[in-house]
Amino acid sequence: MTGNAAIAEAAIRAGCRCYFGYPITPQNELTEYMAAHLSRREGCAFIQAESEISAVNMVYGASVAGARAMTSSSSPGISLKQEGISYLAACQLPSVIVNMSRGGPGLGSISASQSDYFQSTRGGGHGDYRTIVLAPASVQELADLTRRAFELADKYLIPVIILGDGMLGQMMEPVEFKHEAPSALPVRAGALRGAKGRHSRFVRTFTSNPAELEEVNWSLFRRYQLIQKQEASCENYLTEDAALVVTAFGIAARIAKGAIKQARALGLRVGMFRPVTLWPFPSEQLKELSKRAKYFLDFEMNMGQMIDDVRLALEGGGDVSFYGRPGGVIPNPTEVLRVITRVYHQKGLNQ
Amino acid sequence: MIMPNIELYAANVIPKEEYAVSGHRACQGCAEILAVRLALKALGRDTILTMATGCMEIVSTPFPTTDWKLPWIHVAFENAAAVASGVDIGLKILMKKGKVKKSDINIVAIGGDGGTSDIGLQSLSGAFERYHKFIYICVDNEAYMNTGVQRSSSTPFGAMTTTSPPGKLSMGQPTWKKNMVKIAVAHNIPYVATACPSYPFDLIEKVKKAKMADGPAYLHILSVCPTGWRTASDLSIRYGRLAVESGVFPLYEVENGTYRLSLNPEPLRPVTDYFKGQGRFRHLTDEYIDKIQKRTIKEWEDLKTLCGVK
Repeated sequence: MTGNAAIAEAAIRAGCRCYFGYPITPQNELTEYMAAHLSRREGCAFIQAESEISAVNMVYGASVAGARAMTSSSSPGISLKQEGISYLAACQLPSVIVNMSRGGPGLGSISASQSDYFQSTRGGGHGDYRTIVLAPASVQELADLTRRAFELADKYLIPVIILGDGMLGQMMEPVEFKHEAPSALPVRAGALRGAKGRHSRFVRTFTSNPAELEEVNWSLFRRYQLIQKQEASCENYLTEDAALVVTAFGIAARIAKGAIKQARALGLRVGMFRPVTLWPFPSEQLKELSKRAKYFLDFEMNMGQMIDDVRLALEGGGDVSFYGRPGGVIPNPTEVLRVITRVYHQKGLNQ
Repeated sequence: MIMPNIELYAANVIPKEEYAVSGHRACQGCAEILAVRLALKALGRDTILTMATGCMEIVSTPFPTTDWKLPWIHVAFENAAAVASGVDIGLKILMKKGKVKKSDINIVAIGGDGGTSDIGLQSLSGAFERYHKFIYICVDNEAYMNTGVQRSSSTPFGAMTTTSPPGKLSMGQPTWKKNMVKIAVAHNIPYVATACPSYPFDLIEKVKKAKMADGPAYLHILSVCPTGWRTASDLSIRYGRLAVESGVFPLYEVENGTYRLSLNPEPLRPVTDYFKGQGRFRHLTDEYIDKIQKRTIKEWEDLKTLCGVK
């Protein structure tokens, strides 16, 4: 199954009944899968919107009505969706947005890239808000984290972003769908469902009273703190005895894993730390790791975005080197191995 | 019907210069690149192109090569008309200040049907309303072909695309094709026309007229897409003609609100002549074909009335 199809299937299995898309390479298979499967089922809606802005605002509408909704796009399209995501965050509407990112800036390229890290983890649109960001590194994980995304969205009433990339979306791997029955759709108190027999509800993001808006921001902030405390997750790979730890997420972690296997074969003590949630960033876990390992190599397919979070988490407690490949270039494990070996020797870890 | 003995004087009618040269990566049998090539011939050298993302942008400028011999800028899907507005204003100011020599530069925005009738409609409407002197060319291949054949609002009723798959609960595209020409006419702009590269002289004449218009001009060009329509790549010109002859895509122009038929193909061929051999219509049942036939005839009669043709 391709990564894009795995997301779509996992979303349907997770109970997503409304999907709104717009064509953009390299995530079209997702839209096409939804078109083929949702339009075939009773009680499901597939709409190809007239623009990304419309697609994300259809999610806004479906979510405010209480439905489980999702949209997907790739980097340039996600830029257009940012306004909608800001509104989703403000109104605390659960929703899932998939970004199969590609090279940038501008129209960039259609090749896999990780240059949307800042945009995803720092809110992205206007206003003081965050979204949960999940970064899968395999097709299996795309399916698992899609399920997880819907659960988190319902639990914290927050838009959740799945940050994949063009390569993950296009590649084919065996997938096992573990969960069969979708979790029950929670009935939200704020959902707009007509006002027959009761007072009407209203959902708004504007208030002319700064004190009121401050309270809204405080309540969002408190929820974000809770998420940071409970939901940060990561993967440690061969870090127990590692002298050098590679930090990487998503597809870059997959490449790094290959390089680390080769490095281990050469007798280098190298491991990997991979954040699965990019926001909240697993800072505690990384800090913990820095008690054992002092040398870090941050590897990303951009010119250094997650490295900021790595440095902040280490609080000066580690030496961080960097290797980045921007613009949709996908390095192979041997290239990464070369950098690992160089850093390993430069830092005198072979002694 | 069009011109007898074309080969005798075609060279005198069509300018020899090429501005969209060979080296692009369009599919075999692409009528869209042909349409752009013919249009640019009529526009000439003093032209600035702003182009929305789409087939024409992707096939013509794979970095670092290009097939354009004209100043050209690419912009996101929804903004070709907005950038053209900016170019118009920028040049006007520079000319006013004497920094650029005063001359008549053609500003041409090109978008596909998705970039025009879906996501680009807002900026196009804005540019028409502000009455910039520019030409907007919509090269309509009736779906998002560049990303792998997804439906657009310009996809004809019943057509199969990857996001309007025919099956038990659906018969392909569920909605009727958006009438972009009527939308453009409603902005009261001086020149609106439809064209098709299967009728090259008509197309070139219309581009020339658009160039002379005193304000915004809109050209809607039907471009046969063998890849997306699932047709043989050597039949693109024929399918363009069949679309016109069956009344599915009539050729007409609207000058300052006055409709004029460019070509009267009566008696109309049945739409089945046009559908035959197109993979995207293969699944249609007689019931749906009948529905489309009736609608086509009705629209044709309405157009005839507007054009004052009996």
